Parts: sequence; C-alpha cells; structure tokens
Amino acid sequence: MLTLLTLLAAAPQGPQFEPPVRMQAGGSYVKVEAPGYACPSWHDVDGDGKGDLVVGQFRDGKMRLFKGQGGGVLAAGEWLRGDKAAAVVPDVW
Amino acid sequence: MELTGDGIADVLSGTYSRKGKDMAGLLYVLPGRKDGTFGKAEPLKAANGEPLVLPQGEGENGVVDRICTRQWLCDLDGDGSNDLVVGNFRGTFAWFRGGKDGFAPAASWLQADDKPMTVAHHGDPCLADLDGDGDLDLVSGSSDGDVVWFANAGSRTAPKFAAAKTILVAPPRTNVVDDGEPQPIALGEDHFRAPGSDTRVFVADVDGDGKLDLLVGDSVTAYTAKGGLAEADVQAKHAAWSKKQRAFFQQPSGDGDDAQRKWQEGYEALEKERDAFVTEERTGYVWLLRGK
Repeated sequence: MLTLLTLLAAAPQGPQFEPPVRMQAGGSYVKVEAPGYACPSWHDVDGDGKGDLVVGQFRDGKMRLFKGQGGGVLAAGEWLRGDKAAAVVPDVW
Repeated sequence: MELTGDGIADVLSGTYSRKGKDMAGLLYVLPGRKDGTFGKAEPLKAANGEPLVLPQGEGENGVVDRICTRQWLCDLDGDGSNDLVVGNFRGTFAWFRGGKDGFAPAASWLQADDKPMTVAHHGDPCLADLDGDGDLDLVSGSSDGDVVWFANAGSRTAPKFAAAKTILVAPPRTNVVDDGEPQPIALGEDHFRAPGSDTRVFVADVDGDGKLDLLVGDSVTAYTAKGGLAEADVQAKHAAWSKKQRAFFQQPSGDGDDAQRKWQEGYEALEKERDAFVTEERTGYVWLLRGK
C-alpha cells in the first residue's frame, strides 16, 4: 500500500499541517497533462472575492484555472486564455 | 499577482530555458486584461532594461544555476519594494533586490545556517510567515518530492534563514539500476495518498479559516491493469518486469551504431512486454494540507 510507503513528518517546531487531501474540481481530481509537474497557485483571478486555483503544467506551458465557488468548492477547470487560444508560458521545452 | 500597475492580476512564471542562445530560464509576465484573457508573455526585466537572468556557477555544470526557474515576489527585506526570490535546477535560491527603479540586475544567493540554501533539485521558493513571528520564512518543494521549511531566524528587515526542516517526506521511489526491491505501482489514481515527486508549493489561506494552508503540486505515474487482471497479479508481474528492466539497464549499452540499435530494440521490447499487462499515465495532482 502506498499509504504505508508515504510518511508525513510533522516538524517538531514550526508549521503544522493536516494530512494531505487531493483537491477536486467539478467532481474530478485536479490533475495536469503528461508528463505531470503540477504547479499550483491561489489567487482571486476573477475578482469575485473568492480564491481561485491556477495550476501550471509542463506540457506546452499552459495553465488551468479552477474558479472558487465558495465553501471549498472548485468549478471544473478551464485554460487561462490568451488572444485566441490558451495562454502559454514559453521556454518550457 | 499584479505587476503592470493596472489593477488586473497578471501571471508571473519561471521557465526551463530559452532556446537559440546561452541557456537561461527567464521569468515571464503575461499581462492580465479586463476581459479575463492574458497578453503575450514578455521577459521580466531588471532596472537596466535587460532580462533578469540568474548568475551562472563555475565549471561544466554551472548552467544548472540559471535554468529551471521558479520565482516568488515579496518584500523580503521590508524596505517597501518587492524583491524576487528565484529557485533553479540546482536547488539553490537567488535574491534579486527590488528598489524604486525596479529589480537589481545581479542577484545574491540565499544562505541558510550560513551555508548556501539548498534543496535536492528544483528550488521552488514560496515565502510566508509560517511560524507567525512577523517575518518571511521560505518553504520549497523539490525534485525528490520533499517539502522543506527554512525558518527566518532574523527579522522583517534583516532575514537570516535557519537550516532546513523537512515538513513533508516524499514516498520512496524505485531506482531502476539499484539493488532495492521494486516498489508497488499505483494501480488507479485512488491509490495515491500523498504527494509524489517534483513538488511545487504555494502557501495561502485556501479554506478561509484564517490559518495558512499549503498547496502542493506533484508528478506521479498512475497505472491501469489490462485484461481484467487482479491487482495482486499485476503487482507481481510488474515486480518481475522491474527486475528484468534493472538487469537490462545494468548491462553496458556498447559502442557503435549496431550496439546502439540493439540496445534500443531491447528497450522497446521491454516496454512492449510491460504494455501487455498495464498502461502507464504520467500526470500531476494538487494536494491541500490545511494549517493546524
């Protein structure tokens, strides 16, 4: 069991956190395209007073926005948009 | 974050490396627009008008100091101007000081416990007052998946970081060429219980309870059994296959085109053998660790 192989170490002094919970949005786990490398950030992107989750990924340098609905609920993801298609960060290879 | 002064959130991102010139992971700004879209990415520049580039170390591997960037914007020294802390492939952290005219073009390397501040690889800085003492601590993910915390033992205006403490230990990974027993594979995405490797972190009060939470992104490989095989059977097959794979990689590949071709054929045959009983998906999830 991977549960047994994963150890969460709480530092004796310093920040203390609850065990990790995988985030979901729109009824599915928040995940990125292959080969992975999910890079999260939290910001009120749409200015509605609720925090939103933005997740960058390696493939094509794209970012997916999961709008916060309040109460810890996230809407299904949508790509951050550029001029005509998804906004992209260059130089990710 | 807001960088362009128009009150609309922008995107600031690190990169792996620019192409066509000497390798360097530039930082890019995608300006936010009123309609919710983002403009074309432009390099973030220093006060002298040149793109911000991390200093390069000496020697053949010095380039790893300036690629695979990941940044955090904050007023680290409390002087009223935003600074940039930037991680890199090596796992160290550069500090570009900000001033009234912008960012200094040269950076210094952050120290922790009077030594270069370092994580395994892929420095991933996120600065926040995690211990509630009024200054900015640094937390970072890493390539091996550990999440580490560097307490700021200095002050709001004179940061001084303590030695690293690991706050999240990554699960063990099988090295295909070592002698350890193969690790069980994750059959189906519900098997994951904690972040995997290549962690990226972000600190914010996500659940709105007034305490700082930790978001962790990762990279994992998820597997799906083929042909209705039971999980135990798949694990046994994969363990046997892993040992075969290890033996393959422990053999010298040889020199010359023929040897390389044979090695490639052998590698592809191995992959095909595994594909007969399981499919592989590389992905990454986002985890929330609520602050206590």
